[in-house]
Amino acid sequence: MKSAAKARSEFVSTATRPGFPPEQPQARKMPGPAKPLNIVAPQVEAERQRIRAKFDAGASAKETLHALCELADKIIQQIFGDVMKVHDTPNEGLALLALGGYGRRMLFPFSDLDILFLFENEKSEGEFRPFISEFSRTMWDLGFRVSSAGRTLDECKRIEEDNAEFHLALLDRRFLSGDQELFNKLDKRVLPPSEKQSRSFLFLQLHRLTKERLARYGNTIFHLEPNVKEAPGGLRDYQAAFWLRQILGDRPDLRGSTAADEELAADAVEFQSSIRCLLHYSNARNDNTLTYEMQEEAAKRSLSVRDGLERNAAEWMRLYFRHARTLNRQLLRYLDQKMAQPVSLRERFFSAARSVTRPEQPPSGAHFAIRSGQFEILDQPALADRSIIYSLFTEAARTGTMLSRDAERIITYVVSHSELHVRNQMMSWDTLKEILVADYPGVALRPMHRLGILMEILPEMRAIDSLVVRDFYHRYTVDEHSLRTIEHLQALAEPPDARGTSFAPVWKMQERRDLLVLALLLHDTGKGMPVENHVQGSLTALASAASRLELSPQEEAEVRFLIEHHLDMSATVQRRDIFDPATVSAFAATVGTLERLQRLCLLTYADIHAVNPEALTPWKAEMLWQLFVATANHLSRSLDRDRLHASDESSLLEQIQSATGGAPKTEIERFLEGFPRRYLAVHSATEIAQHFALYRKLGSAPLQTELKAERHGFSLTLLTADRPRLFSTIAGVLAGWGMNIIKADAFANAAGMVLDTFHFADLHRTLELNPSEVERFQASLTDVLSGTAALEPLLQSRESASRARPPKVAVTTGVSFDDAASAHSTLLEVVTQDRAGLLYDMGWALARLDCNIEVALIDTEGQKAIDVFYLTSRGKKLEPQKQEMLREVLQGTLG
Amino acid sequence: MMKLEAIIQPSRFESVKDALREVGIEGMTVTEVRGHGRQKGHTEVYRGREYTVDLLPKIKLEMVLPDKLVNTVVDTILKTAKTGKIGDGKIFISRVEEAIRIRNEERGESAL
Repeated sequence: MKSAAKARSEFVSTATRPGFPPEQPQARKMPGPAKPLNIVAPQVEAERQRIRAKFDAGASAKETLHALCELADKIIQQIFGDVMKVHDTPNEGLALLALGGYGRRMLFPFSDLDILFLFENEKSEGEFRPFISEFSRTMWDLGFRVSSAGRTLDECKRIEEDNAEFHLALLDRRFLSGDQELFNKLDKRVLPPSEKQSRSFLFLQLHRLTKERLARYGNTIFHLEPNVKEAPGGLRDYQAAFWLRQILGDRPDLRGSTAADEELAADAVEFQSSIRCLLHYSNARNDNTLTYEMQEEAAKRSLSVRDGLERNAAEWMRLYFRHARTLNRQLLRYLDQKMAQPVSLRERFFSAARSVTRPEQPPSGAHFAIRSGQFEILDQPALADRSIIYSLFTEAARTGTMLSRDAERIITYVVSHSELHVRNQMMSWDTLKEILVADYPGVALRPMHRLGILMEILPEMRAIDSLVVRDFYHRYTVDEHSLRTIEHLQALAEPPDARGTSFAPVWKMQERRDLLVLALLLHDTGKGMPVENHVQGSLTALASAASRLELSPQEEAEVRFLIEHHLDMSATVQRRDIFDPATVSAFAATVGTLERLQRLCLLTYADIHAVNPEALTPWKAEMLWQLFVATANHLSRSLDRDRLHASDESSLLEQIQSATGGAPKTEIERFLEGFPRRYLAVHSATEIAQHFALYRKLGSAPLQTELKAERHGFSLTLLTADRPRLFSTIAGVLAGWGMNIIKADAFANAAGMVLDTFHFADLHRTLELNPSEVERFQASLTDVLSGTAALEPLLQSRESASRARPPKVAVTTGVSFDDAASAHSTLLEVVTQDRAGLLYDMGWALARLDCNIEVALIDTEGQKAIDVFYLTSRGKKLEPQKQEMLREVLQGTLG
Repeated sequence: MMKLEAIIQPSRFESVKDALREVGIEGMTVTEVRGHGRQKGHTEVYRGREYTVDLLPKIKLEMVLPDKLVNTVVDTILKTAKTGKIGDGKIFISRVEEAIRIRNEERGESAL
């Protein structure tokens, strides 16, 4: 039914509505009020007080609502009877009906009385209108908020397409007073055929209205101060589910709800109704917001608590969310249903023919399959093997396909029945990583949390389960906020608005999403712990999770960094002058590397975004992006400036010494001295020890290489003395073998030793499918670098084998120089279209003009290559003339 | 009564707010704004893409004050928002004819 104001005006406006004539001249006259109010009013008020006192003394919501309903019924019958009696008017042709919540006998203390005046025809409507006005006025004077509408029998048959609320409210009709025969006619003869005919319309309208309502509240039950009527999980969910059930009829597929489900729903309705009664009584109006103060009050009263345990407000709110979840789930289950459509003979024939030619059977042995765009479980008993459930979530995260409500119900059953012989319950870090690193981690993590599986894997999250932390800005519970951060990131695949556009490429190209998403899951867990500073609590949670999941020390360090600094970027944006180079420099020093900066930026973007829908204003998003860009540029331009002094790194020296079985410190110092600081930031102590081990072998062979398989390809580490064209030659060998370089670092130490790392994709799976080729590849590299084999034949064979494909996105080449970035090198930044052999071509052009690469940072972003080189020529910066020549050569080579 | 509008650096906002609270100013309207005066902005290049920041982010504070408080508030803002660099912002002061509290229809300074 419409709001009180709208419905009242609706009745008043009946006088001018087409087909609803103005007051007729034959209308009966009104001599005055039916009965002195000073007699009835105190009685009504006393009865109201009695009902409230009983509620305060512990009466259930059900009893309270029934009592309020009985009082309203009694007064309506009395006042209506009196009005008719005073005017000596028989009530044939007019019936009073209760609709909506009042019709269902759920009348809250300050709710509207939804009443329909049903007229036999237009004539009777004209005759009765004056009495109705008098009746309504009297009811208002007695403190009832009457929200009324008037319809003739004929009008009730017609579907008002712009007023679905009225037809839905009519589903709850109940006779109150007046012409019983007229009501019976409507109830038994007029409405059933019209309702049957309009089922589809009502279903679609209710579906639309409900979806709009849920969206208004962010589609979540987890609000810090929820509206117990309108928000998801509130009483409106119950009402909508009830209507959907009526509209859909008693279908066998809906009878799946068990008696236990029904009992849970009844408990939830009682719980939410109690709160709503308390709110109405406390606020003395129809205000349904469960504010922090009212949460305290409800917890103090142990409102609707059956186990007799005392709870603080946060613990009591967890009960609230449990019940809200029950009502919301019940509604969503009904919302998932489709109206059964009549199927013609022709359609049946074609459907049968299709099922013969294209059977919908999934491959045998499949445990789940996608049907109607959602994952369905095919093999329920197989779910006792948890690895199958985990692989379902991995697929959901990979494809962005959601689990159907039924699939979730089946998993809930399996997870909650401990007597089932569960296998492979432990989820390894590798499996969890597959989910976290995928394109749609939120699609898997949300149901994993709902079903309790996420808390099995990360019990540290129990501390924030449905946790309300009072905060002026936050709108959601802590766990909901954490999940939303991840959903905001995955939405960057196709940014929904301008705020995310700049951040989208950073997310898409992020390689260690697993570390970022794990940090987001844990970053606020400290809020549920008795600690002074929640960040410290979250770090404790990480330590326990990392040890259980067996994260590598480097992985743990990266997640630790993100959690420890998760407020820093936002604080810098808001409290520092981000256009001051000193601010940028200090922030860059905190962050250390571009990779960390990218992850911290994404985390900050998501963290602010998930506070409330308005928190990330375009203004804040722009500030955040400005700080990110300035810091990223600072990091890549200060690479050459910040060099390592090995004697200052005593702790690192000790770690390497211990990892290498007591190598002399002076030797380690000689190896480390003069590397850019980035070298320390991007390699763990273990990796540095491995590099040092390679360094020690240089005496036996002047070129040391190490090839490792990675998630998306291989990494090649190479250590040798610096020489002209080294970088371009390595890039050439990789190109000759058909490898696509994705990232690369080239560092030189003070002694002229070069450590290059290339991360590349093996496009033709040469090394992956032919293990013997690994050896041949390394030998080829050694031969070319030592000069015993030529590079050109290798490149020519590749050129003839590869077919040039047109790029999907055209990237304009940009070449820029910066002389101020380093004291002794010139910085060259090249942005161009990525292609096979690109790095070789660039390296060759640099070598041709006698440019030495001191440091290189090679990166790709889709089809865009972004390469930064620190160059010297004969030990000095590049002269302006040489820069121009180089620009021309590069523009000519790269196009 | 006077209306005071101050455009300040976002980084100074917390300090200004705290200082104003200390001199007894609790109520103000705060808006995130962009603009430029003599501080014209600059251009940043990231990964080959140029980002021109011609409108710089600022915070606008608005408050209506009894005449006697205006000087104190101006001094407080000057003291806490000034860094001495271009881009520190500006303060604008104008006269207000009337103030009305909607809740109880109080008028004049008592409505502030």
